Amino acid sequence: MTTQGKTINITLKVWRQKGPGVKGKLETIEAKNISTDMSFLEMLDTINEGRIVQGKEPIEFDNDCREGICGMCGAVVNGIPHGPEKAMTLCQLHMRKFKNEDIIVVEPWRARAFPIIKDLVVDRSALDKIIQSGGFVSMVAGGAPDANAIPISQNIAEKAMDAAACIGCGACVAACPNASAMLFVSAKISQLALLPQGKPEAAQRAWNMVHAMDDCGFGNCTNEKECEAACPKEISIVNIARMNREFIKAGFASHVM
Amino acid sequence: MLDGKIPAGPLEQKWDKYRSTMKLINPANKRKYNIIVVGTGLAGGAAAATLAELGYNVKNFCIQDSPRRAHSIAAQGGINAAKNYPNDGDSIWRLFHDTIKGGDYRSREGNVYRLAQVSNNIIDQCVAQGVPFARDYGGLLDNRSFGGAQVSRTFYARGQTGQQLLLGAYSSLSRQIGLGKVRMFPRSELVDLVVVDGRTRGVVMRNLVNGQLESHAGDAVILATGGYGNVFFLSTNAASCNVGAAFKAYKKGAYFANPCYTQIHPTCIPVSGTHQSKLTLMSESLRNDGRVWVPKDPSDKRSPANIPESDRFYYLEEKYPSFGNLVPRDVASRNAKEVCDKGLGVSATGYAVYLDFSDAIKRDGKDVVAKKYGNLFDMYHNIIDDNPYETPMMIYPATHYTMGGLWVDYELQTTIPGCFALGEANFSDHGANRLGASALMQGLADGYFVIPYTIAPFLANNGNSDIQKDHAAFKDAEKKADAYVKKILSINGKQTADEIHRKLGQIIWDYVGMARNNEGLKKAIGMIKELQEQFWSNVTVPGSDTDYNFALQKAMRVADFLEFGELMAVDALDRQESCGGHLNEAFQTDEGEARRDDDNYCHVAAWEYKGQGNEPAFHKEPLVFENVELTQRSYK
Amino acid sequence: MNWIINTFGTSIGKKFLMALSGACFIGFLLGHLGGNITLYFGKDTFNSYAEHLHALGILVTMAEISLLSLLVIHVLTGIILFFQNLAARPQRYVANKRAGGRTWASATMPYTGVLILSFVLLHLINFHFVKKTPDNTIFDIVSKTFAQPGYMVIYIIAMIVVALHVSHGFWSLFQTLGANHPKYMPIITKVGIVLSLVFGIGFGLLPIYVPLIAS
Repeated sequence: MTTQGKTINITLKVWRQKGPGVKGKLETIEAKNISTDMSFLEMLDTINEGRIVQGKEPIEFDNDCREGICGMCGAVVNGIPHGPEKAMTLCQLHMRKFKNEDIIVVEPWRARAFPIIKDLVVDRSALDKIIQSGGFVSMVAGGAPDANAIPISQNIAEKAMDAAACIGCGACVAACPNASAMLFVSAKISQLALLPQGKPEAAQRAWNMVHAMDDCGFGNCTNEKECEAACPKEISIVNIARMNREFIKAGFASHVM
Repeated sequence: MLDGKIPAGPLEQKWDKYRSTMKLINPANKRKYNIIVVGTGLAGGAAAATLAELGYNVKNFCIQDSPRRAHSIAAQGGINAAKNYPNDGDSIWRLFHDTIKGGDYRSREGNVYRLAQVSNNIIDQCVAQGVPFARDYGGLLDNRSFGGAQVSRTFYARGQTGQQLLLGAYSSLSRQIGLGKVRMFPRSELVDLVVVDGRTRGVVMRNLVNGQLESHAGDAVILATGGYGNVFFLSTNAASCNVGAAFKAYKKGAYFANPCYTQIHPTCIPVSGTHQSKLTLMSESLRNDGRVWVPKDPSDKRSPANIPESDRFYYLEEKYPSFGNLVPRDVASRNAKEVCDKGLGVSATGYAVYLDFSDAIKRDGKDVVAKKYGNLFDMYHNIIDDNPYETPMMIYPATHYTMGGLWVDYELQTTIPGCFALGEANFSDHGANRLGASALMQGLADGYFVIPYTIAPFLANNGNSDIQKDHAAFKDAEKKADAYVKKILSINGKQTADEIHRKLGQIIWDYVGMARNNEGLKKAIGMIKELQEQFWSNVTVPGSDTDYNFALQKAMRVADFLEFGELMAVDALDRQESCGGHLNEAFQTDEGEARRDDDNYCHVAAWEYKGQGNEPAFHKEPLVFENVELTQRSYK
Repeated sequence: MNWIINTFGTSIGKKFLMALSGACFIGFLLGHLGGNITLYFGKDTFNSYAEHLHALGILVTMAEISLLSLLVIHVLTGIILFFQNLAARPQRYVANKRAGGRTWASATMPYTGVLILSFVLLHLINFHFVKKTPDNTIFDIVSKTFAQPGYMVIYIIAMIVVALHVSHGFWSLFQTLGANHPKYMPIITKVGIVLSLVFGIGFGLLPIYVPLIAS
C-alpha cells in the first residue's frame, strides 16, 4: 500500500532565467534516486543541495508554508499550473505521482503582468495592486457593531467562504490561455458582494477592481474554464459571473463613474 | 529588576484606566510621525493598517512577495473570544483565568486580562471586515470547544481561520496602501536595527530581489516578525520563518525573554526521511475520536491490524484515565516521546505513534468520521500515501509555536525605547504554554487594539526622531551588513546552510526539546558552539549578493539560529524547574507532570546581549499574582 | 459620457459587447433558420417566403443595418480581445496541456469566428448581392449554387463551424452576462448544445437537400 522507500530517476527540464527581461531557456537536469515520499518542492530542495555543493547555482523557486495555504509556491509542471493533481498546490504534490524515467517540464507562471524575477520566481504584485484598489470593506478598527448584530444566512456565509478560500497564488492567471486574472478578482468581489458588510460599497469596489485589473496588463476572460480547473482551492467561475453582474450594475445602475 | 509597567488598580480597570489617562497625540500631529512595521502577519498587518487609519505614516515590510503570505495564514483551528454567545458560562474572567492557568502561571495578569477584554472587539472587527466565520442555520455565529476548553468560545472559518483573519487584516492594510498611508515593501528582510542615543531610529533592510541594503529612518519601530520555531529545522512553521529581526534587536539591547518556552504540538505528520523540509500539523480535534497507542513489545513489527488488543499499549488512556487521549498538548507530546525513546515507536524511523480511528468508525460509521475529519484524512493520505480509514494514522509531535520572545512591557515596548514587539515575536501573554486558538487572538489584539494606543505615549513624550537615514549610524549599519553578507559568501566551504541547520535542529530537538536535563543542555551548548564554528569556516553559499538568492537568505537566517539556539539552552538551563512547555526531567511530580518552583522561578527570565562570545546577562521580572491562585495541573 | 467608454472599454465591458451581439446573432440565426425551413417545403414556399420578407421594405433595411452594426461590434471587439489576449502572455509556454476546462469549441473561437466572417461574405455574394428575376428566383440561385460540389462542401463545413462557435458561445454569453446559477447553468449548457445541433443540421442539410428537390 505505501510506497515508502521507493525511489525514481527523473529528468527535469526547468526554466532558467538570470533576471527580469533577460532571455531564459530550459535546462535539462537529471535527478537520481528521488524518494517518492518527497513533495515536489523537496525534490527541488534535494537537487539544489547537490548543486550548491558542486558550486552550481540552485534553481530559484518561491515557497513558504509548504502546506498549501500561503499561495507562495507555484510552477507550471508539464503544462499545468501546480502540476497534474486536482485541487492541490505544488508543495502538496508528491513525487509518487510521477514514474521512473519521467521527463518533467517546469516553467514559471507566464504572464505580462507577472514579470520573472529569477528562474521560477515571478513578481505577482499586480494581484496586490488590484486588492489595494478596492478589495476591502472601508472601516476602521474600533467602530464595528457587535458581531452578531447582522445575521447572515448560512448559505451566504458558505458561498462567501468558498470565494474567500482563494490563496492568491496566481495559478488562474498562469492557466488562462489569455493570462486573465478574472478568477482571482472575482473571488474577492464575490466574497464581499455576498456579505451585507460589503454591500454598501459593492459598486465602487467592482468598478475600481476591474479597472485596476485591466491597468495591470492581464488578458481578457473568454470563458475557457482553465482557471477553475487549475485552481488549487477549486474556486468556481460562478464567481466570475457574479463579478460581471456586479460590474454591469456598477456601470449602468449606480452613481459610480 | 525589570518593571513591566502594569498600571495600578483593580485588574478589571487597568486597561480602561490606562486608556483614559494616557497621553494622546492630536490628529493633525499624527501625520508627522513615521512608524516602521516589520512583518505583515496578524499582528504586523493589523498594526500597520490601524496606525495608518489613525493618521500615522507607516512603512511596512515583509519577507514574502505579498503581505498576504505571512505564516499566520496557516492557523487552522480558530480564535478565542469571551463573547459567551452559546450561553455556556464564559466570561472575560474565565478566558483570562484559563489562559493564565494554561500558561502554567508564567504570564502577567495585567496583560492576559487585557487580552481577554479585547478578544470580543476582535470578533466584531473581523466580522465587519467581511471575514466569513462559520454560522448556524439562523445566521448567527457558530462556536466550538477547542483544545479541551470547557466552554465553546472558539470562532472559526472552516479549517482556515488563520487565513481568513489574515486576509481580513491584509484587506485593511491594502486599503491603507491604496490610500497612500502605508508604503509597502515586500521581499525585504531586516538586517539591522539602528539605535542612537538610547532610542530606536530605524532599520536597515535588505531587498531580497536585488540584494540592496536600504535604510529607513522612523520615529518608532514595531517588530511583528513571528516566532523562532524553525530553530528546530523541522517544525510546522513556514520555510522563511526566522528569528533574525528579533535577534538583531536583541543584539542592539532588547532583552530576550523566556526563549526556552516552546510548544510542541502532539498531532503532526511524522518525519519520513532526511529530505523532509517541514512537518505538517493535523488539527488537534483528531484526538477527540482517535485512540493513541503503540505495540507493547518493541520487537513487534506486525502491521497494526494484526496486533491484537492485548498486545497494544494505550499509554495515554492507561496513564490518565479521566482525560485519556484529550490531555493537553504538552502532556500528549511528552508521552509520545517517552514511548518512542523506549523503542516502542512505529514507522520506519521508530518516531511515531498510532492514532487509531477503527473504534470510532465501528461506533459511528465511516460516514460520520469522514464528515468530521474527511479533509484531514485526505491530507494525511496525500502526504503519507496510506489510508487512515483502513490503517491507523501515524503521528508524532512537532514544534509549533514559541511562547518566548522579545521582552516587552505593558505597552509592548522592548527595553530599547521606541522599539516595540507584537504577536509571537514578543513573550507577553502565553506564559510557559499557549492554549489552542489563542495565538490568533493575541496577534490581532496587539495589532488592532493595543499598539494603536500604547505607542502614543512614547511618541508624545519623545517627539520626532531627529536622525535621518543619511546619518552616520545608518551608513555604518549598512557597511557592517554588507561586510557580513560578503563574509558569508566568501567562506566557500563544503556544507550547505541547510545541512548545518539540520544538525542544529537535531541538537535542539534532542536536548532542548520536549524533555530536558542539565547534562543534556550543557552538552547542547557545547555542540552548538562547535556548529557555529563549522558554519563560519565551512558553509558554502552559491551566487552573488546582487540578485535573488534564496540560499544566501537561508544562510543568514541559519547564522542567527545558531546563536539563538545557544541562548535557548542557556535559558533552559537557568530555569531549574519545570513549567508548561519547559520540562526539566529533574523536576516532575510523581505523576510525571511539570513541577513548578514558584518560590524561586515565578519570574520572567530576560536575557541581555553582552557581545560576541560572552555570556548573556540575566534580568528578572518577578510575576505577581494578586487575582489567581497558583495550583498544580493534574489530568489523572 | 465618459462612463460609457469606461464601462464598455474594460475587459468585462468588451465581453459584454461580445455577449450581447452574439445573443442577437443567435436570435438572427433562429429567424433565418425559420425562414430557410421553407426550403424543405419546395421552391414555391421558399420563393413566397422571400417575397413576403422583402415586402417588409424599410423594416428589412433597418434589420440589415442593425445586423451590420452588430457584426462590426462583434468582429472589432473580437479582434481587439484577440490581440490583447495574445499580448497578455508575450512568452508562451514550452509545454502546453489543458487542465480540464478548455474544449475544442472554446479554444477555437477566434478562428471559427474568422471562418464564419469569411463565410458570411461569400454567402452574401452568393445570395444577397445577386439580381433576382422571375426567371432566376432566389430558389433557382440557391439550387444552382448548391449544385456545385465545391460550394456544397463549403456550406456544409461552414455550418459545422457555426455549430461549434454557438456551442461555446451560447452558455458563454450567459456566463458573461452574469447568469450562472447552479440551478440553471446545466440547462443553459444543454440548450446551447441542442441549439448548435439545430443550426448545424437545420442549415447543414440544405446544401444536400436543395439540389435533390431542384433536379
